[in-house]
Amino acid sequence: MSKIRSNPLGVKLDRRTFLKGAALGLAGTALPLNKADASFWEAFFQKHFREMNDDEKKKVIQRLEKEYEQKYKKAIHIGSEKPMPGVLFGYGLDLSRCIGCRRCVYACVEENNQSIDPQVQWITVLRFKKGEKWIDLEESEKYYNPEQVPESGHFYMPVQCQQCENPPCVRACPTQATWKEPDGIVVVDYNWCIGCRYCMAACPYGARRFNWGEPKRPAEKINPNTHYLGNRPRYKGVVEKCTFCVQRTRNGRYPACVEICPVGARKFGNLLDPQSEIRYAIEHKRVFRLKEDLNTNPKFYYFFAYGR
Amino acid sequence: MVQAVAVRDFLIAFKEIMRGSKKYYAWLAFLSFLILLGLSAYIDQLNRGLITTAMRDQVSWGMYISNFTFLVGVAAAAVYLIIPAYVYKFKPIKEVALFGELLAITAITMCILFIIVDMGQPFRVWHILPVIGAMNFPSSLLAWDVIVLNGYLTVNIIIVFYVLYRISHGKEYLPSIWPLIILSIPMAVSIHTVTAFLYNGLPARPFWNASIVAPRFIASAFCSGPALMLIIFQIVRKIWKLDIENRAIFKIAELVAYAMAINLFLLGAEVFKEFYSGTIHVYPIKYLYFGLHGHANLVPWIWTATVLNIIAFILLLLPKTRENFLTLNMGCVFLIMGVYIEKGMGLVIPGFVPDTLGEIYEYIPTMQEIVVTVGIWAAGALMYTLLLKFTIPVYTGKVRFWKKALVASDAMSRKLVTVTPDTTVDEIGKILISKHISGLPVVDRDNRVIGVISESDIIYSEIQRDPHFVEKLGDLILPKEKRGEKLGNTAKDIMTSPAVTAFENTPLEELIKTITEKKIKRIVIVDKEGHPVGMVSRIDIVRELEKKENKHLVS
Repeated sequence: MSKIRSNPLGVKLDRRTFLKGAALGLAGTALPLNKADASFWEAFFQKHFREMNDDEKKKVIQRLEKEYEQKYKKAIHIGSEKPMPGVLFGYGLDLSRCIGCRRCVYACVEENNQSIDPQVQWITVLRFKKGEKWIDLEESEKYYNPEQVPESGHFYMPVQCQQCENPPCVRACPTQATWKEPDGIVVVDYNWCIGCRYCMAACPYGARRFNWGEPKRPAEKINPNTHYLGNRPRYKGVVEKCTFCVQRTRNGRYPACVEICPVGARKFGNLLDPQSEIRYAIEHKRVFRLKEDLNTNPKFYYFFAYGR
Repeated sequence: MVQAVAVRDFLIAFKEIMRGSKKYYAWLAFLSFLILLGLSAYIDQLNRGLITTAMRDQVSWGMYISNFTFLVGVAAAAVYLIIPAYVYKFKPIKEVALFGELLAITAITMCILFIIVDMGQPFRVWHILPVIGAMNFPSSLLAWDVIVLNGYLTVNIIIVFYVLYRISHGKEYLPSIWPLIILSIPMAVSIHTVTAFLYNGLPARPFWNASIVAPRFIASAFCSGPALMLIIFQIVRKIWKLDIENRAIFKIAELVAYAMAINLFLLGAEVFKEFYSGTIHVYPIKYLYFGLHGHANLVPWIWTATVLNIIAFILLLLPKTRENFLTLNMGCVFLIMGVYIEKGMGLVIPGFVPDTLGEIYEYIPTMQEIVVTVGIWAAGALMYTLLLKFTIPVYTGKVRFWKKALVASDAMSRKLVTVTPDTTVDEIGKILISKHISGLPVVDRDNRVIGVISESDIIYSEIQRDPHFVEKLGDLILPKEKRGEKLGNTAKDIMTSPAVTAFENTPLEELIKTITEKKIKRIVIVDKEGHPVGMVSRIDIVRELEKKENKHLVS
């Protein structure tokens, strides 16, 4: 049987082109990036990141780089650095130092290519009144907006992904689109996430963000140094989150929020290295972790440094 | 051949769906209009993203998931009918259990639609499937839900179609489908339990993280689904003039009242625990019932639901109000509304308010969300209408598929009088008059048909005795070539021989052809030995064809 079918206009279509056309018409609006060329199908049938071999990863990344270049008219590098053996990242936050300036929030947005409209931020800084119930999150204020920080009578607590060792979001995800890497970072494959947002319901720390609309960020503000599992530009309809700046930390750098903090409240390092700063903080300070009763076992430690 | 039959049956069913009164078409048009509205709102949502809804990071599920949750409950209706019907053999309910199963199919389909419209990347839905996707089983409760919902849908589709298939054959259906019907009971419980666990299993959300959620789900499901069924039964009974016994309706209403009692009790237990212990976990339920820091959007809704549920419970519990259709229907409508609020938005939204970091975001669905939701409900109503339209005629026996074409035995009259070749013409005339028949077969000594005598044969015979008549009427009554025939005083002289005969299984179509081609008025139906068993006359055929349900069976 011939697969060629003719139409009244006399144009011959083979079945594949015909189906492709039909599907394109249907799906055109909802799928990311270039619809017209072959990459549409490559994107549609792209495998789960962890099921790809190095060769396939390379091809996918090449395609994505091309797509981003077309979109932003500038070269964007997508890295796929693997976790380093013997590394388990941990984070420390000195509550007695934090002044609530939100520089970490903005540095994170710049580094990680968050959408400006609609606004997406990975770090939330909460303000608490001193002398009241401690860590009753319901009493916290997220939208504080004073002339100057710190405000007297208040203290601040930044919250971001706690990179749980026992992450409820990973357990919840129906498609394995989010998982914990061997170096302890919980990542999302933005090309695999179906946008059901079950992980957001499951996260006890409000750390996950959804792209409710098409993420918008001017090309000149795009950070071109990205990682596939980290700060590469995202799509509408997928979930994203803090990755401890995987594009930086797997290359031996500090996360952007650690670098920017003007008071040195943020500490970062390898939990498996006894000499690391984070290990020092855990061993010498009075540390606690948020919502410990939930047994999520975060690798994000809050503490109070002596003397302030 | 098989395909041809299937296509024909499909066309028969399709015709049944297309046929209807003006009101029916108006109803279909109304639903289609709502569906189109919903579709256009959804296409806009696809283009712009879920930002067209009021959902945000703080309240990341809203109206869609609320409707999904409510509808999982409705899907239970089937089981609440199946248990009394098949297990306890309560016949009046057994007869209507089929409509419950159809409702289950519709409700689950709507559930799937609500999930699809809630997805940020609906075209990636295949990622959730096993083998070709990366289903996170058994870890994710959402993966479990995909399995049980689709399983329940499949089982119900198989049951309904098998039962209809057997009914349309006029055959008993229960024995072979029994295991599946039994299986559908725990499956219905499982879709509720798993959907409840979906919420229940999240320690991040104290409002949901209560083990009472699953029992509450099942109790409220056993209220709302059957209550909806009761209203549907009355509509079906009125429109299709279907015989649904009051006894069945009252029995179901009674069961609904008990389920509501349990639902109210479980809810009370939860309310007590949260408020009395007064831990920080009290905030969501406080927000729901009393408002928090001046935010009180849900308060009027949940109190309305509570009052409606209590009134419904009383109306359905007391035999006097239960067995009065006005108060019964009030009770059902109140209950559906009450459970819709309590188990929909009343369950989903407080899970997110305050959010995990204590923020209060008050969620009020956008018009677009509402339009999409209405569109899906319209799609469900359309689906259920068409399913009923197709099912009820099969169920009542109006439409029969796969029946072979009509045959002689369907039409023949068995009122048979025979005569022998020696019976006199006078006697035959008397028989015709006294038995009100217009013809009869002549049989030999072995009771084999050798000819037929009709009224006209007698007329010919009588006329020819009087030359005056022949002269006067001439060709009008007796053609020249026939003159001289049929003269005599006994049957063998005047009969038409040999007789035109057919067998009982000769298709009616063939008989019609013979009668019209040979210009005869009746055919004698004989068995294999040639013994007469009946006659098919023109009027018999007319009578059979006039039966409405046979019209499509003869081309």
